[in-house]
Amino acid sequence: MDPNTAGWALVVALFLPLAGAGALTLMPASMDREIRRAAVAITAVGFALVAAVTASFDYSRAGELQFTTDVPWITAIDARFSLGMDGISLPLFFLTSLLTLLCAIYTTKPLPSPGKPKAFLSLMLLLQTGMAGTFVAFDLILFFIFFELTLVPMFFMIGMWGGPRRDYASVKFFLYTLFGSVFMLVAFLAIYFQAGANSWSITELSNMAPFGSTTFQTWAFLGVFLGFAIKVPVWPFHPWLPDAHTEAPTVGSVLLAGVLLKMGTYGFIRIALPILPDGAARFAPMIGVLAVIGIVYGALCCLAQTDVKRLIAFSSVGHMGFVMLGIAAMNEAGIQAALFGNIAHGIITGMLFFLAGSMHERYHTREIAVIGGGMLKKMPVYGVLFTYVAIASLGLPGLAGFWGEFPAMWAAISPGLGLADSYGGLYLGLVVFAAIGTVLTAGYFLWLIQRINLGEPTERWANEPLADVQAIEWVSWLPLLALILALGIFPRLLFGGQDAAVTNLVGFLGG
Amino acid sequence: MDALLEYTWVVVALPLLSAVLITAVGKQLPGKGSEIGIAALGLSWLLAIGIAWQTFVASPVEPLERSVDWTPLGGGFVFELGMLVDGLTAVMLLLVTTVSFMVHVYSREYMQGEPRYTYFFAMLGLFTFSMLLLVVANNLLLAVIGWELVGLCSYLLIGFYWEGKSNQDAGNKAFLTTKFGDVGLIVGVIVLSAGMFGLTDTPFNILEINEAAVAGQLSTTTIVLGMLLIFLGCMSKSGQMPLHVWLPDAMAGPTPVSALIHAATMVTAGVFLLARLYPVVAQNQAVMATIAIFGVLTLFFGGLLALVQDDLKKILAYSTISQLGYMVAAIGVGGYAASIFHLFTHGFFKALLFLGAGSLIHAVHSNNISDMGGMAKAMPHTFWTFIVGSLALAGFPLTAGFFSKDEILIAGEIWAGAGFFTGSLVYWVGLAAAFVTTFYMARACFLIFAGENRSHHTPHESGKLMLAPLMVLAVLSVAAGYLLSPFSPEQPNFETWLATPLLPAETTFPFTDEGTAAASGLVGDGVLAAGTSLAAAGDGPVKVLHGVPTWHPDLLAIVLVLFSLAVFLAYRFYGKGLPERDPTLSMGRFTDVLVAKYGFDDFGYRYIVVPVRDKLSAAATYSSNVLIDGMVAGVGRATKNAAMTTYRVVDQQVIDGGINGAAFSAAWWSDKLKRIQSGDVQKYAGVLVAGTILLVLAFAAAR
Repeated sequence: MDPNTAGWALVVALFLPLAGAGALTLMPASMDREIRRAAVAITAVGFALVAAVTASFDYSRAGELQFTTDVPWITAIDARFSLGMDGISLPLFFLTSLLTLLCAIYTTKPLPSPGKPKAFLSLMLLLQTGMAGTFVAFDLILFFIFFELTLVPMFFMIGMWGGPRRDYASVKFFLYTLFGSVFMLVAFLAIYFQAGANSWSITELSNMAPFGSTTFQTWAFLGVFLGFAIKVPVWPFHPWLPDAHTEAPTVGSVLLAGVLLKMGTYGFIRIALPILPDGAARFAPMIGVLAVIGIVYGALCCLAQTDVKRLIAFSSVGHMGFVMLGIAAMNEAGIQAALFGNIAHGIITGMLFFLAGSMHERYHTREIAVIGGGMLKKMPVYGVLFTYVAIASLGLPGLAGFWGEFPAMWAAISPGLGLADSYGGLYLGLVVFAAIGTVLTAGYFLWLIQRINLGEPTERWANEPLADVQAIEWVSWLPLLALILALGIFPRLLFGGQDAAVTNLVGFLGG
Repeated sequence: MDALLEYTWVVVALPLLSAVLITAVGKQLPGKGSEIGIAALGLSWLLAIGIAWQTFVASPVEPLERSVDWTPLGGGFVFELGMLVDGLTAVMLLLVTTVSFMVHVYSREYMQGEPRYTYFFAMLGLFTFSMLLLVVANNLLLAVIGWELVGLCSYLLIGFYWEGKSNQDAGNKAFLTTKFGDVGLIVGVIVLSAGMFGLTDTPFNILEINEAAVAGQLSTTTIVLGMLLIFLGCMSKSGQMPLHVWLPDAMAGPTPVSALIHAATMVTAGVFLLARLYPVVAQNQAVMATIAIFGVLTLFFGGLLALVQDDLKKILAYSTISQLGYMVAAIGVGGYAASIFHLFTHGFFKALLFLGAGSLIHAVHSNNISDMGGMAKAMPHTFWTFIVGSLALAGFPLTAGFFSKDEILIAGEIWAGAGFFTGSLVYWVGLAAAFVTTFYMARACFLIFAGENRSHHTPHESGKLMLAPLMVLAVLSVAAGYLLSPFSPEQPNFETWLATPLLPAETTFPFTDEGTAAASGLVGDGVLAAGTSLAAAGDGPVKVLHGVPTWHPDLLAIVLVLFSLAVFLAYRFYGKGLPERDPTLSMGRFTDVLVAKYGFDDFGYRYIVVPVRDKLSAAATYSSNVLIDGMVAGVGRATKNAAMTTYRVVDQQVIDGGINGAAFSAAWWSDKLKRIQSGDVQKYAGVLVAGTILLVLAFAAAR
C-alpha cells in the first residue's frame, strides 16, 4: 500500500464496520453464535486492514497527512469529505480498531440481560465507525458528525445492557455530551465565518491561525473547550463519567474509557490548539489548574469508593488530568506526553474494565467489602493480572502508564507560548500537586489490591468454585497486557511516530 | 583496558535474564529456579569484580559513558538508555552483586519449604536488576526508573507473606512513604533538567548536569530547589528522619530480603544519588547544611530507638537508619568519599548481621532476643561471624566500620575547621551515637549468645549454604576497611577510586572563602568530588581531598574509651542473661518516648493517613456526587420546571388562553355587534350623520 495514494484503505477501514452493522441486522436473531462470529470476523478484517495501514505508514514523513481522501461533499456549505492520518491520528485509529476487535471477541461470552447480541454488536460496529472517523476526519463538519455519531450507540449500550441505574446513567451521558457539543458546533460556525475562507478544513484553518480578535479567540475557544472538556472529562465536568462507566456493560466501559474519552483530548490537540492558539494560550493556565485538580480530586474520590468499577471510573478522571496537564503545557513535550497518556490510559484502563467485568461475572458483586480479599488465593492467575494492570495504572516505570505521567509533569515545568514567563510559578505548583497526585494514586491502587487480592478468602467465597482466567479472556486480553509492557519498555513506538506530527502541530501554535 | 568496562551492561542484564528465566521455567527445575538465580548472580559478581579491579588499580579513571537514544520526548529532547561507569559505579556494582550473590546462595537454604520459593528468586533477580540499573544509569530519568522499580520490588517482598494483614500494611507503608519522597525526587529531577534546557538535548544526563553545576551554568534557584527536592526523595528511600517510619516495618519481609534490600543496597540509593550529584550538592552551603543536619538527627535519634527493641531485626533496622544518617551527614560536610566508603563497608557488615539474624531466627523460631540466649555454644559459626559484624558496626578499631566511620568523623572535623558548625555537629554527635551503637549491639550480643537458652527449641547450627555467605561477609567486614586506611598506598585507594577526574583542577566549594579553604585543606584538584585532574594523575602522586588517612590518636583514644564503656555497661546489665527489668525499658519518660518511636508513626497515621483516606476522600466524593452533580441536577430540574411552566402558564394559559380569549371575545363582540346590523335604515342614517359630525369636529380640533 502506498500511503500517498491508498486513500481507499482508510475509507474502507472506516466504513467496513458500518457495513458490517448493516449486514448483522439482516441476519436472523436466532443465529446467535453466527452473529457473534460474524462480528469477530468483521472487526478482524477491519483490524487486519488497519494493521496493514500501520505497517505501510511512512514514518519518515509522520508529520504529513497520508492515506488522504478529499472530495467535495455538501457543496452548499463547503463541507468536504476529507480524511487523512498523520503520526498523531495513527495510534488512536489503531487503538480503536484493536479494542473493538477485542471487545467483539469478548462478546462471544454471554451478554448481560437482555442478551440480543445482534443489536448489541450492530451498535458496537456503528460506534466503531464514529470513533475511528473522529480521528481521521480533517473537515470540521465531518469531524463533528463522527463525534456525535458515537453518542447514539453508546446511549443504547448503556441504556439497554447497563446495570440497575442504566436509564439515569444513559440519559445523563447523552445530555452532558450533547450540551457540550452544542457550544462546540456554535464555535465551529464562528470559526468558519471568522476565517472567511469558505472552508472547514482543519489543516487550512490551522495554517491561517491565528485569526480574529482576542475576543473572538476567547469565546470560540470557550465553546470548543466546553465540547471537548465534557468528553475528556475535565474536572468539574466529570459527573457523567462514574455513572456511565458503572452502569455500562463491560464492553461499553472498555470502549468508553479506551476510545471515547480520547476523542476529547484529541479534539483539543487537533482542533482547539492549532486553530485557536491565542485562545489556547489564554486558557492554558486554567486548563492546567483544572487538570491538576482532576488528578488530586480523582485520586481522593477513588479512595472513598466501595465499588470496584466506580473506583476505576474515577481513576480515569485523574489519569485524564495528566493528559490535560500535558496539553496545558502547550509545548512539544507536553503534547507528546498527552498523546502517550491517551493511548496508555486507553489500554490500561480498558484492561481494568475488562478485569472488573470478569470479576463481576464471578462474584456477582462489585462491592470491595463483599469480595473481601483472597482473590490471589482463589484465582491466582487472575490476581496476578489484576496486580499487574493496577501497578501499570499507578504509573510504574517500565510499564505504559509512566510515559504519560512523568513527561507531562516534566513538560509543564517550562510551558510554551510564553507561559513560562508569566505563569512559571503557577506551573511549578501544578507539577508539585500532580506529583502528589501520583502518591494518592499509588495509595488507592495498593489499598484496592490489599482489599481484593491479598489475604485469605472470606467465608462467603472460601468454598465457592471460581474459575480462573478463561481461554476467551486470554485471547481478548493478551494483546493489551503485552502492549502495556511493550509501550513501557519501548516508548519510542509512540513517541517516535508522533514526533514529527507534534512538531508540525506546535508550529501552528507559533511557539 | 576499558574493554571490560564496555560490558558493564551485562552485569545489569544478567539478573533480569535470571528473573525472566525463573518466571518462565523455574518451577520445572530441580532447584525450583534458585540455580538460575545463583548462576546468573555468580557471573554478574565475577564481572563486577573485574570491573571494580580495573577501575581501582588504574584509579582515578575517566568515566566511561555509553548510550543509545531510546526515545524522543518532544521538543528535540531525547531520553537516553545509557551507562556511566566510573569508580562510584564500580563500587556500587561490587557491593550490590556481592551481597545479592551471597543472599541468593543463603536463600536457597533459608527459604526451603517456604511458599512461593520460585517467585522469591525471580523477585530477587528483578530487584538486583533494578538496583544495578539505578547504579549504572547515565541520566537521572533512567535512575528514577531504577529507583521506582526497586521500590516496587521492595513492596512485593515486604508483603511476601501477603496472607497476613500486618505484612500487607507494612508493604503499603513502605511504598507510600517512599512514594511521598518521590514527589521530591521527581519534581527535583524535573527542576534540575529544566535548568539544562538551553544547554543540551539530553537534559537528564548526569555528567552534563554535574559539569554545568561546576561551571556555574545552573542558577542558584535551580540548584537549591532541585537538590532539596531530590534530597526529600533520598530521605524517604534512605530512611532519614522523619521519613524513616517505613523501614522498621519493612522487616516483615523474609530475612534475606531485609539483608539485601533493607540494609545493604536499596536503602543506600538515596546516599548514592547524593554522591552521584555531589558536584551539584557542593555548590550550595544551604543544601549541604540541610543534608548534614538531617543526617545528624537521624544518626543520633534513629540509633536511640534500637535501645528499647526486643525484635532482633528491628534493632538492626534502627541501626541501619542510624548508619544511613552517618552517610548522609558525611555528604553534607564534604565527606563524599567517606560517605561512600561507609556505605560500602556497612553493606557488608549489615548484610552479615541480618543473615546472621536469619540463622538465629531459624534456630529458635522467634525474632526476639528475649527468646534467645546461650547461642554461642550451639551455633559457633553464626556466633563468631555475628560478633565480627557487630564489632564492625560498633566501629571497633581495625574493623572496616572503624575506618569508614572515622573517615566521616574526620570529614566533620575538617569541615568544622573551615568554619562550618555542621562539621562539629557531625564529629561530636557522631561520637556520641557510636557509643549508643556499641551499647545496643553489645546488649543484643549478650542477650543472644551469653547466658542460658531461653527458647523452647533446641538450637542447631545452620547448614553450609547459609554459613558460607556469613563467612565471606565476615571477612569482607574486616578487609574492606583497608581500602582506605593508614595502611593504604597513596594510589590506588578508595578515595582515588571514587575520584571524578572530569572536574576542573584547583576547585573549591564556591561558598568558602579562599583563605579559610586553603588553611583547612578544602582546596584541591577537583575537590568537589574528592577528585583529581587526570593531568595530576599522570605525573606524580595523586592529590585528593583528604589523601591517605593518618592515625588520629585523639580520636582513637575517645573511640576506645567509649567502646569499652559501652561494652562494660552492657555486660553489667545483660552479661548474665535477661535481667528481671531491662534497664533500657526502665528509663521512665525516656523509655516511653522511645517505645512510642517519638510519635512519628502515630502522627503520620492519625494526621495524614486517616484524614486523607477517610475524610478528604469522602469530602471529594461528596462534592462530586452531591455538590457538582447536585448543581447539574438542579440545572436539570430548573430546566424541567421551566419547561413545565412554559407549557402550563405560557403555552396553556397565556398563549392558548389568549387565543381562546380572542375567540371568546370575538363571539361576545359579534353578539353585541350583530345587534347593530338591524336593517333599520333610519338608524343607519342617524349613525352616519353622527359619524360625519364627529369627524368634522375632529378635523377642526386638529387644525
